[in-house]
Amino acid sequence: EAEHSGASGAMAAIVASEVVAEELFFGWGELLNGISPYAWAFIGTGLAIGLSVLGAAWGIFITGSSLVGAAIKAPRIRSKNLISVIFCEAVAIYGVIVAIILQTHLEQVIKTTEVTPMMKYAGYAIFWSGMTAGLGNLSCGVCVGVCGSGCALADAQDGNLFVKILVIEIFASALGIFAIIVAIIMSTKANFE
Amino acid sequence: MPELDPLCPPSAPFFGFMGAAAALIFANLGAAYGTAKSGVGISSMGVLKPDLVMKSIIPVIMAGVLGIYGLIIAVIIGNGVTPSEGGKPSYSLFQGFAHLSGGLACGLSGLAAGIAIGIVGDAGVRASAHQPKLYVGMVLILIFAEALGLYGLIVGLILTSKPGSCSE
Repeated sequence: EAEHSGASGAMAAIVASEVVAEELFFGWGELLNGISPYAWAFIGTGLAIGLSVLGAAWGIFITGSSLVGAAIKAPRIRSKNLISVIFCEAVAIYGVIVAIILQTHLEQVIKTTEVTPMMKYAGYAIFWSGMTAGLGNLSCGVCVGVCGSGCALADAQDGNLFVKILVIEIFASALGIFAIIVAIIMSTKANFE
Repeated sequence: MPELDPLCPPSAPFFGFMGAAAALIFANLGAAYGTAKSGVGISSMGVLKPDLVMKSIIPVIMAGVLGIYGLIIAVIIGNGVTPSEGGKPSYSLFQGFAHLSGGLACGLSGLAAGIAIGIVGDAGVRASAHQPKLYVGMVLILIFAEALGLYGLIVGLILTSKPGSCSE
């Protein structure tokens, strides 16, 4: 009985926070208000690193398996083609950079339960910044892995092809740079008071 | 409790940032597919004709340009979503939805163009290794595919430039 009235009191407070003029307005705002801005921000930070590392790992296993397979008959390729693995690892490093930048916005201890519009802005900014970095790096990692796999296989056939196919990998890793540029631009104005 | 402006609610930046994220994520996905698929084709045909590899990097460059289209729109939106200054909101829900639509327009078009460039690039470089006269034909087809991404960029720019205002 007491729990029921407590829950309905909380619901009334949530609804009251978005009552606009005289009407009861129910739209996207109420749906988003149910989630704390800190939840948005922390989920974004976690996804930034998690998805980037997923992309890097995916790329590494794609390129690594081709590398060791092709090196059976052409062992000379094994040291040079580790650079493809390093390109994939760089994607994970991009994710680490973005996650560390995003978490610097979240260093204050929560002192009040009041949620201001600025806090909501910051929560959404950090969430989407993390998603951009994470999913952008995911595509980039897989792409670098596939290109690295092709590079290893071509290098095993003809040693002169290595540098030429490496140019394709450089274009591929530029995609990760785009992702972190956008992520950093989106998160600069986020500011939890 | 500050007065909430119905034209500029605090939930508006969610949609703006979603647009920026969509522009970049989908354009990156398209560029990645294009680069990877053509890259595999180039690596395969390079074994047959090593001299043609540098000429055949065209599909990879065109796929990379799609990523840049997504970057452009994402940066425009990211700079356009402004926080409230001094308690006064400045970003309207109209602008939020406009940015979302612009981001989706550019991003999904980039994804589509990237898939097309990847598959055409893969088949094209392998074919032009066997038959050099096909190179120009491959480039023409790639240009048509790239134009799809450009359409998305143009519409995205139009949509993201729509102004909004908060009630005074």
